[in-house]
Amino acid sequence: MDGGMKNGRAGADSTLVARKLRKNYGDFEAVKGVDFEVRRGECFGFLGPNGAGKSTTMKMIYGVAIPSGGELSVVGLDVTKDIRGVKRRIGVVPQENNLDEELMVRQNLLVYGRYFDLSKKSITQRADSLLDFVQLSERAEAKVGELSGGMKRRLLIARALINDPELVVLDEPTTGLDPQARHLVWEKLRQLKNEGTTLILTTHYMDEAAQLCDRLVIMDGGRIITEGKPRDLVKENTSPEVLEFRPRPDSLEALRELLAGEAEHVERSADLLLAYTHDSDELMRTVRRSEIPLENTLYRPAGLEDVFLRLTGRSLIE
Amino acid sequence: MHIPSPRGAFRVWQRDLTIFRKFWKPALFPNFIEPFFYLAALGLGLGAFIGDINGQDYILFIAPGLLASNAMFAASFEATFNTFVKLKIDRVYDAIVSTPVNAEDIVAGEYLWAGTRSVLYGTSFLIVLTALGLISSWWALLLPPFIFLMGLMFSVMGMLFTSLIQSIDFYAYYFTLIVTPMFLFSGIFFPIEDFPAPVPQLAWFTPLYHAVNVCRELATGPSPAVLIDVLWVVMFTFGLALVPVQIMRKRLIS
Ligand SMILES: Nc1ncnc2c1ncn2[C@@H]1O[C@H](COP(=O)(O)OP(=O)(O)O)[C@@H](O)[C@H]1O
Ligand SMILES: [Mg+2]
Repeated sequence: MDGGMKNGRAGADSTLVARKLRKNYGDFEAVKGVDFEVRRGECFGFLGPNGAGKSTTMKMIYGVAIPSGGELSVVGLDVTKDIRGVKRRIGVVPQENNLDEELMVRQNLLVYGRYFDLSKKSITQRADSLLDFVQLSERAEAKVGELSGGMKRRLLIARALINDPELVVLDEPTTGLDPQARHLVWEKLRQLKNEGTTLILTTHYMDEAAQLCDRLVIMDGGRIITEGKPRDLVKENTSPEVLEFRPRPDSLEALRELLAGEAEHVERSADLLLAYTHDSDELMRTVRRSEIPLENTLYRPAGLEDVFLRLTGRSLIE
Repeated sequence: MHIPSPRGAFRVWQRDLTIFRKFWKPALFPNFIEPFFYLAALGLGLGAFIGDINGQDYILFIAPGLLASNAMFAASFEATFNTFVKLKIDRVYDAIVSTPVNAEDIVAGEYLWAGTRSVLYGTSFLIVLTALGLISSWWALLLPPFIFLMGLMFSVMGMLFTSLIQSIDFYAYYFTLIVTPMFLFSGIFFPIEDFPAPVPQLAWFTPLYHAVNVCRELATGPSPAVLIDVLWVVMFTFGLALVPVQIMRKRLIS
């Protein structure tokens, strides 16, 4: 792979290769040397809390942040040498909505298409089919300001597709959307992936990462702390079942001691104790026998947020 | 040093034109009205007390200068408030820089657009002046291209200020301390040469002074000395143009 990077090309099945990629803002190091590789046609996720460096990494991919060190090749091109070439072939859905408020919905796509030097005819055709794809055809002549949050996000996705990109970068595509709007965005992203488009997305929702991503990295404090398939990450880093206990404050220590002996591992998140096990029934019986007073208890299968908690000692969303 | 690409600049210019086309009639209309106010109040009102300046009717003296200030205001608003809104409020530029159009192209595109807008506004103004018989030379046909050049010049200046400020409130300084004094002391309303030193010398270093000279000469038939003013405008514009490009780029690309 390294040999491939030197002459500015990724390997045959890689759309993106990052090596020791760093970004400083003044003295502050927002991205502290990350390595990752995105394969053609997959959906690759960046999961991490606010401030982890996800957006900064995305911005380096689409040329709005210039790397301070390391190497980054996107669609086979070195971002520091041919950023125009990179931008021509990728699509970008930024974290902040920056639709052109002075233009109507459809015009947003037409004007954006011109930035790619596409012919008028192909822009028009593509704009109409994309509006159809994101279910906004009926709002084609509406003002952007009149759209709901979910519609704006779908329009951003349509806009990112105007140049028929081989790779689409999505920075928190569903943050701030209600559940229904999120599911609609997810559906569109799955459709895109099925059509062969490579997707890179960031999120701080573990369910989003688990549902959409073939592979993902977990980022924290500017570093990648682990990488893998969602299922494997859960399997490798934590036990399959979780019991969430909410004890009375005065019995928290007693319960913690008990769980430390009985469960495979225990995490604490505010006033919640999380016990990880392969056999939650058995663990539950043991806790009941101890007669430690509990306010309530919840059983659930382990997920990516447990992986994050295990690896960092903090929960994903504070 | 980042050099803009003409193609990228054209795309940004095209975006501005697309939006302008939606409201071009109401936008241009005031430019047909404005000359009447100035010419009535100053040309006829004040002119009645002044009589001639340099052997010219007062109204004939001020008309071409007002054309220059009209271009200055059109380009200045474009490169200040309008640009600031696109930069910091609507975040239009953030969207553009993630396409093949680079940050440096955006600034160049805005120069071109400010020039275009000045021409549209200035030509409307010029049509009225001509209809009123205040333009007496065929050389005035060169006024629209010169207005474009003036538009570029004042947009470069405005863009430089825009590239340096963080809040829209600072434009009060730009207009009060730079634009208004130029408007008053660049020889539009009275010949600046008769002022005691250092006013004429200072005026020589300001863009509007030369723009007014050129407009006045083209309106009446130029002398060769006008070439010096044109050269001044060209040197100033192209000497400074790449400075805001670099600063704005730093604001858009981290
Ligand atoms: N332009 C900038 N200047 C200075 N610091 C920045 C800038 N952009 C981001 N940061 C800082 O870099 C860190 C990572 O930010 P970001 O990449 O936006 O994280 P995330 O997208 O994971 O929430 C944060 O601490 C943030 O405050
Ligand atoms: Mg972010």
